[in-house]
Amino acid sequence: MGIILSLAAVILLFSAGTLITILIEPMLSTTDEEGPASNSPKNNIYPVHPDSWLYNAAPAVALASMAAASVVIPIDKSLAGADIGIGLFYFIVIIDYMVLAVALGGWGSNVPESIESCYRIIAQLVAYVVPLGLAVIGPIMMAKSMSTQNIISSQSSLWYIVSQPLGFALYIITGLMQVYRAPFLEPFSNILNNGIISTYGGWRGKLWRISLSGILFIVAAMGAVLFLGGWSGPLLPGFVWMAIKTFAVLILMKWIGQRMKLLSTARMLELSWKILIPAGLLNVLIVGGLILMGVGGK
Amino acid sequence: MILTWYSVTGLIILAAFGFILLIYAFSRKQKEWILNSSKWNNFRFSFITFALIFLSFDMEMIFMYPWAVVFADIGMKAFLDMLVFIAILSSGIAYSWGMGGLNWE
Repeated sequence: MGIILSLAAVILLFSAGTLITILIEPMLSTTDEEGPASNSPKNNIYPVHPDSWLYNAAPAVALASMAAASVVIPIDKSLAGADIGIGLFYFIVIIDYMVLAVALGGWGSNVPESIESCYRIIAQLVAYVVPLGLAVIGPIMMAKSMSTQNIISSQSSLWYIVSQPLGFALYIITGLMQVYRAPFLEPFSNILNNGIISTYGGWRGKLWRISLSGILFIVAAMGAVLFLGGWSGPLLPGFVWMAIKTFAVLILMKWIGQRMKLLSTARMLELSWKILIPAGLLNVLIVGGLILMGVGGK
Repeated sequence: MILTWYSVTGLIILAAFGFILLIYAFSRKQKEWILNSSKWNNFRFSFITFALIFLSFDMEMIFMYPWAVVFADIGMKAFLDMLVFIAILSSGIAYSWGMGGLNWE
């Protein structure tokens, strides 16, 4: 019974969050390039020579990975889908199935722009995974746990955004790469005819819109959990604080992204391996030094 | 306990697939075709060296997670261990950078 209730709560709250994200995202965009948030064709289109299984499986994989990742995000003190012991690790692994989904869709539809989009999506994965992993190691070190609830409760005295500003900056940048928003929207750019979005019409196109907005919401929510103390806060109930912090991170991500120049996939890879990964390794050492000096760690 | 956690995960994945099947049932009528010929052979990808370096680094990164959980309890010894580990990783990046591996072909 408890399982069904928490499941219903997770589905309801994260669907609501995704809908709000879909509604507010156009208001935060200032450029013509909308990337993953652009509208799919209205007609029910279908490519002539698809790999039908891959083409149809892609939206399913995308939505399933979104749903599975949302399970470990705590909404309130006692409300989370499942407080898995290796929660954070589970999260960063399972959310990468989104890349698999977009790659399947691009390859399966067999349209030149989509295949190009598939290759660039995989290149983007190569760029973001390692710095993202290094950024989330900081909170794990200070919380001494990978469970998301433990990470929140260990921030009761000091939010990790204060003790690990470099980690937070890394998380925001790699998070933008992960959700394909500006300035990292190359695989969904206008030159590629919006990538896979242009080959899915009607309801299937709407499904992509849900998944691609859902990933933005979920990554912002995880940012709030890791660095802003999640549901903890005075006066208001926990889930209200969680919503406020999530949308604060989301708006910050969009705001920063809009103010940077669009990067090509090649530049993204260079940025990642020449700047972000050395910075991530440095962040691990800085956090380690802080813990040895008695900051943060219990 | 573990069974409870992962049953939630399994159930929510099932729910997602059920939702997708529902949507596919609604959109079975195909109206328009995208006219194209098969294009699978026309592309090459230009980040081969990045992909190879990524493969090794992603594997190394896994080792840092168990270390990070126990770090605060062990203290200085764990820090020095990780210093050696990070020095080796950084020399790997420096080597591939110097050999021109971090360039888009």
